[in-house]
Amino acid sequence: MSNTSANILDIKNIEVMYDNVILALHDVSLKVPKGKVVALLGANGAGKSTTLKAVSTMLASERGKVTKGSIDYDGTSIDKQNPSQMVGLGMVQVLEGRRCFGHLTVEENIISGAYSRKLSKGDINQELEKIYTYFIRLKERRKSQAAFTSGGEQQMIAVARAMMAKPKMLLLDEPTMGLAPQLVAEIFNIVKELNQKEGVSILLAEQNTNVALKNSDYGYIIETGRVMLDGTAKSLLSNDQVKELYLGISKKGRKNFRDVLKEESLIKKKIN
Amino acid sequence: MVDELLFFMEVLVGGLLAGTMYSLVALGFVLIFKASATFNFSQGAMVFFSVLAFCGFMQDFNIPFVLAFILAAFLMVVVGLCTERFVLRPLMNASEDTVLMATIGLGYVLEGLAQAAWGVEVRRLDLGIGDFPVPWIADNLKLFISALDITAGVVAAIMIIGLFLLFKYTKIGLGLRAVADDAGAASSIGIPLKHIMLLVWSAAGVVALVAGCMWGARAGVQFALVDLALKALPVLIIGGFSSIPGAIIGGLIIGAVEKVLEVYIGPFFGGAIEGWAPYVLAIFFLLYRPEGLFGEKIIRRV
Repeated sequence: MSNTSANILDIKNIEVMYDNVILALHDVSLKVPKGKVVALLGANGAGKSTTLKAVSTMLASERGKVTKGSIDYDGTSIDKQNPSQMVGLGMVQVLEGRRCFGHLTVEENIISGAYSRKLSKGDINQELEKIYTYFIRLKERRKSQAAFTSGGEQQMIAVARAMMAKPKMLLLDEPTMGLAPQLVAEIFNIVKELNQKEGVSILLAEQNTNVALKNSDYGYIIETGRVMLDGTAKSLLSNDQVKELYLGISKKGRKNFRDVLKEESLIKKKIN
Repeated sequence: MVDELLFFMEVLVGGLLAGTMYSLVALGFVLIFKASATFNFSQGAMVFFSVLAFCGFMQDFNIPFVLAFILAAFLMVVVGLCTERFVLRPLMNASEDTVLMATIGLGYVLEGLAQAAWGVEVRRLDLGIGDFPVPWIADNLKLFISALDITAGVVAAIMIIGLFLLFKYTKIGLGLRAVADDAGAASSIGIPLKHIMLLVWSAAGVVALVAGCMWGARAGVQFALVDLALKALPVLIIGGFSSIPGAIIGGLIIGAVEKVLEVYIGPFFGGAIEGWAPYVLAIFFLLYRPEGLFGEKIIRRV
């Protein structure tokens, strides 16, 4: 039975706790439509990574737990799954900070992504060639040790490695962290290409609001574990508050949405 | 002069070959350290447990040598399986220190089980290889080198080549190297940690059995094997905890250095310095090269 709903991922009102005491997410709901790119935006500590890890079920290894709400992937609940089962179901997370296997060569890194699939040597080589068409730079460096490649190349290795698992959905955690603008553009071009040509749905956590929204279909903005605003990428890019708070086109010294809400309620009180 | 040189060569070669026996024990530690960044304190107990079971199969049940060895190897895979299921999996998300403590406990369990099943008396293990000089070498090269030492060297070389091929060219070997580099990233791309753990604990068990056979043939199969395995500690400090070549070369260095020191410097201390000389060497390494000769980086110092 295939899932007929239009959303590959459906998160409903989740709450996440670490170590049974630290509340990291209060109430996050979001949807990723099939074949779309959705951006999850927010500052450090807002809960982007936690949301992604809740989806890939990698929370458990950090003693985190979804305590309320539900996460459905491709029509089924994920709460009984573990990370390698999720990979089997076609959901792969690219962790924050690239996390390449430093002592392995570039090619070994990429091949390791196919670990969960039962492929013959010939099939693996065929898949590799396909992957290299997206990551041309990596083909030149295939024999280098991954630890000695540049930050941009390591990010590409991490994405290429995830693609070897043949995912239906990718979770990208800050893929452009610490990269030069040119590389940021290159990474996003590849992401878009993978989305369009391979039909991979993408949920992407970013601090780089501007570039992320320009390359996404839809966006969610979270702060302190709550979704504060969501909308199509276009509408968010032209939203005054987003412009002011996240795109640095600021008028006053406001810091976040909560401050804005406080100010608005003060104004309302005055009017009343 | 020539005699002195020959004598030195004899001491050195004997030391190097004896060192391969340390390498074999150290290899077991390295396998587990690579996959779980934990020093496995039960490795000595695994050596004792496996070789005692091997002797037990042969001597109490009259099972032939080869079959008994296969059974003992299989038993070590079962031990690996149980360790993964009942010790490691429940502690999957626990800190490394917790796992370290668990391995100490596991060691006691294995020691107790072995003695409960096979008794406490010292057993003789006859591999059919004598611990005395090989006549051919003595005649032709004028070096007195034990046949057991030579066997240990050959066996160690075979095991090392086997493990190298396993890690470099098989899928599960690639998985292990990935886990050794970054377990979190490995699990994010669907490499099941429990398979890898099962592999390394089984492999460490079989390596323990082989090391136990060599040591047991020399010193008798007895409880002291547990402590002998601690000799692997200076080997690992010198070679690096996470490096297989390091374990080999560290073992060779310890073997050679302790024999040479014993013979040439030992008399000034009243002899028997080979018991502690390796630890002195280890202290120098900790002071000046704490990651060892081949270590990747210090993850934990024991």
